[in-house]
Amino acid sequence: MTDALLREFLLGRLADDETRQRIESLFLTDPHTKETVLAVEQDLIEDYLEDNLTQDERQRFISRYAKTEEQRRNLRITKSIKDWAVAEPQAPQVTTPTVSVWNRLWTQPQFKPVLVVPLAIAIVIAIVLASIWLNSQRERRKHLAIEQELAQLNSPASLSEVPAQMISRELKPVTVRSAELQTEISLRSDIHTVQFTLPWIQQERYPAYEAQIRRLDDDESYTIPNLQEVSNEQHVIRLRLLTSMLSPGQYQIHLRGVATDGARSPDEEYSFTVTR
Amino acid sequence: MARNSAIPPESFEEILAWLDPDREVAATMYVQLYHDLSNIFRWRGCSDPEGLTDDVFDRVARKVHEVRLTYQGDARRYFHGVANNVFMENLKKVKTQVSLDDDEVPEPMSAKGDEAGTLEMEECLQACLPKLSPDNRKLILAYYAKEKQAKIDNRSELARQLPVETLRVKVYRIRVSLQECIERCLERKANQR
Repeated sequence: MTDALLREFLLGRLADDETRQRIESLFLTDPHTKETVLAVEQDLIEDYLEDNLTQDERQRFISRYAKTEEQRRNLRITKSIKDWAVAEPQAPQVTTPTVSVWNRLWTQPQFKPVLVVPLAIAIVIAIVLASIWLNSQRERRKHLAIEQELAQLNSPASLSEVPAQMISRELKPVTVRSAELQTEISLRSDIHTVQFTLPWIQQERYPAYEAQIRRLDDDESYTIPNLQEVSNEQHVIRLRLLTSMLSPGQYQIHLRGVATDGARSPDEEYSFTVTR
Repeated sequence: MARNSAIPPESFEEILAWLDPDREVAATMYVQLYHDLSNIFRWRGCSDPEGLTDDVFDRVARKVHEVRLTYQGDARRYFHGVANNVFMENLKKVKTQVSLDDDEVPEPMSAKGDEAGTLEMEECLQACLPKLSPDNRKLILAYYAKEKQAKIDNRSELARQLPVETLRVKVYRIRVSLQECIERCLERKANQR
């Protein structure tokens, strides 16, 4: 269940009754789903308070979340918490003293200097292993955070808005364009978002599409699920990326259709180059 | 709000027993189920979610004695089924009625002139914040500190320390406890007036 789907659910915009029933049923019986739904609801409330909703979303939001005096009071409470957090200076990170531990050990009467070398080696090995593990965990979380951000950026609600500082580029599938037509994106501080228009040239149409993006020099790739065709007439898929996620180099996008039973179509490949 | 007094005590007890053998757990589930169904009606766009939820509980109370013996599965799913029926009936009713009230709802944040209320809210927030643990206070401060694009960057940074889903749920729980504290504080202030 994606955030975008739950957002549509919360705003009463799910056309598919079966999906709505399934979410409701899980909301009633599964604590994890309940917390996820309520967390997405918090994001929605925040977007309302930050004036980030479209006109339709805003109207639907108000009729669901601001109809009674109690609801309006809850919104004011959330706003007051946000206002406080924005106004409050960030607390500095508290660092715990590390030297004192060594000092204490060193001053222990039973602590023999002869033990220092093996102990130090053991500690260094432990630190190295821990830092490798922590680093891999951090990388994993970072990867998930970026994927989540990409999914949110490409949700139908986000795509219906045109943010400032966005540029659009059409990419031709590698199979139909000539080599010299490589699209180039120049990283500029005034551009935050790039929107790619990806023509879908295969005969078969799909209810959803999935894009996988990767920089050719990197092993890491990011998957963006639940992309839709712009309309039935235009067989193109829009994909938005934040320029902060890009670095100079050549990128490849693999786009594939996802059937209702989860089957994937063959990939269409698109590419572009990022320069400073 | 709930008008559960319409439910006969024996039916109420039977609903509790159906939800869970432990009466205390069942009572918590009962209250939770009430809120959850109200939420579902609200998300479906119903104008009186609590009234419809009352209706669901009334109907289940009338049937619980028979249904309980034969129904297989989670009792909450049965309530959900009844809620579907209530919703459909209400939909027909609404379609045949001419609405007397305007659907326009005032913008909650545009209310001007409620400076006293804002001041009270501020006082309650300041009274409730010290009740959070320093870690929770720091987390909620960091989470809500930025808006718009800066917010996305800030949360990606926070997500380096905690998976996004865990982070969101954790913040949600802290915010709910803070909100409940503020609500209690506001109620106390209102009673003092």
